[in-house]
Amino acid sequence: MKSGGRGARAACVLAAVLASAFTQAQEYSFDASEFAKKPFELGGYAEFKQEALSLRPESPLFRLNFAGEAPRRSLDRSTGTVEFAGRWNAGDLVADVRTHSALAHDAFGATRLNRIYEAGARWTIDDNWSLDAGKRALRWGKGYAWSPVAFLERPKDANDPQLSREGYVVAGGTWVRSFEGPLAAASVTALVVPAGEDVNPAYGRPNHANPAAKLYFLYRDTDIELLWAGKGSRPGRYGFDFSRNVGTNFEVHGEWARTASLERPFVLPDGSIVQQRRDATSWLLGLRYLSESEVTWIAEAYRNGAGYTRGEYGDFLDLANAAASSAPLAQRVQSLAQSPYARPNPGRDYAYLRVSAKEPFDWLYVTPAITAIANLRDRSFSLTPEVAYIGFADIELRARVVWLHGGPDTEFGSRPNRRRIEVYARWFF
Amino acid sequence: MRRLALAGLAGLLLACSATALALDGAAILKKVDRNLEPESYEMYRKLINIEPDGTKKEFVIFSLKKGRDKVVGLFLAPASDKGRATLRQGDNMWLYIPNVGKPVRITSLQSVTGGIFNNADILRIDYTEEYDVASAEEQADGYLLTLKAKTGAVAYDMLKMTVDKKVVLPLRIDAHAASGLLVKTIYFKDIKDFGGGIRRPATVETDSPLHKGYKSVMLYSQLKKRTVPDEVFTVDYLSRLEELRK
Repeated sequence: MKSGGRGARAACVLAAVLASAFTQAQEYSFDASEFAKKPFELGGYAEFKQEALSLRPESPLFRLNFAGEAPRRSLDRSTGTVEFAGRWNAGDLVADVRTHSALAHDAFGATRLNRIYEAGARWTIDDNWSLDAGKRALRWGKGYAWSPVAFLERPKDANDPQLSREGYVVAGGTWVRSFEGPLAAASVTALVVPAGEDVNPAYGRPNHANPAAKLYFLYRDTDIELLWAGKGSRPGRYGFDFSRNVGTNFEVHGEWARTASLERPFVLPDGSIVQQRRDATSWLLGLRYLSESEVTWIAEAYRNGAGYTRGEYGDFLDLANAAASSAPLAQRVQSLAQSPYARPNPGRDYAYLRVSAKEPFDWLYVTPAITAIANLRDRSFSLTPEVAYIGFADIELRARVVWLHGGPDTEFGSRPNRRRIEVYARWFF
Repeated sequence: MRRLALAGLAGLLLACSATALALDGAAILKKVDRNLEPESYEMYRKLINIEPDGTKKEFVIFSLKKGRDKVVGLFLAPASDKGRATLRQGDNMWLYIPNVGKPVRITSLQSVTGGIFNNADILRIDYTEEYDVASAEEQADGYLLTLKAKTGAVAYDMLKMTVDKKVVLPLRIDAHAASGLLVKTIYFKDIKDFGGGIRRPATVETDSPLHKGYKSVMLYSQLKKRTVPDEVFTVDYLSRLEELRK
């Protein structure tokens, strides 16, 4: 019995040693053949988001955004989102599609959204030339929170700039070439963004081809782009951007854009609305810095040439306030619900700062961050502390609080909500 | 007079031997570069970040390199990072995230994967491109090369590289900051024949006194010679790298 016990113990030790050796071998084994290219690929993510909003029912923008709804001080909203990304690889020809479906439910009811964000085909003709046609989410510019030269995309949310967005139907081609010497690379992209009743109706006035082009250079270690979008559905625009690493942990970038004869609604002090036409110049300067303690700083200063000054925005808020007791005025204000007044960041001058720390205090897979966006003209601002956790395979968890501060006649102080708590879980597949 | 001639001869010999040593160091480093990888290649790597509690996070990257200073990497796993692409051209680095849709400049000390390996390690170019040999020392079984960064744009100011004399491959590299601080140590293990005359370590591990208990491992697979056009190493190509996989 005793010797049997010893035998069993020896067998256990041997099994443990073998298991440990096997585990070690398994731990560091890698066979790339399991990642062989497939003709069809499908991926994407599913997300569940819960939001708790503290509202300002007295805000004129509350009445504009929730027209006909009873005033309330809080709102809980649940949103489920699924994005599918499919791809068909056929040598030099690649077809792809990305869909976006969301279902949101709150006290005001349920809203459904089903969109094809991108779908198209690309043909790589040779080493230098490629053609692309379909719905594409083009991203022009170097800015993180804003991009004055993003002529062909839908508005970006500065508080969540990495959020996926729907593209426009485009057709075009790219020529790219590498060189030896100070000019290391150059490319030219030329495309059209057709706008009609059924194609790109949100882009602008229908029945225009809307040509656009981008020239890119990598010159003396600096990215330089010259960008142009021809007059058509929207006014003619042109500009440039640049980006450069000035150290092993420091990057600077900038953009400049000019829009000719930009038309925008303008509320006069007497409450009447006129269409104003003028040239607008916008610019952005930014930096990204990584400290020795692995804290990333992103800072940007933005001049929105098409934006409203504090007084101009105040005239709009006065009109919206007056509309509370006047049906004709309410109708007039409602006509501005889709105008630049009601879009994110309608002001003239902004500052952005985001500070994020990678796994501070040895908190594994945890990234806390804080983002501040300030309207420099009216001194209102938003502050967003957040924390992200990526410790589970293929799952991202994030929680954040968006606080909006400012007087009632300021941009952030007049928003329909004063605070938003948001928690989401995203599963990638 | 005779003594003076002898002293002159000795001085000349010493100068010659010092020059020969310096030349040897540069030649050894050049050989290390070529023994590690062909100048132009493709390969797959699994990068594993191991935390002090034993939990692991894995990434799989397909990479292409051309010449001495051009590298691209395409993330194949995990699902949350699939389609991300990185490009390095000399001191310039970019990251492309499909959702963001445009290449963003990154810096060499950042890490796109987290863990101990930074971008300069993941998108490594030839050592001879970034470092000069400050000194070379012959040891019993190997050489000890002290490498000094050519410019301030290089991730580590100084490397101490221990080279196996027989196979002329690195065994260990101590990476130091300009202050002299040891930033990390990289260990090269498990020499494997990849075919096509490529025989190199299949496992590269790193740890850092700045992150005690953490470890990162890179495993190599399907490393082979391949030459692609220069245009692949441009920002316009980052969204199309999948097309280059066979």
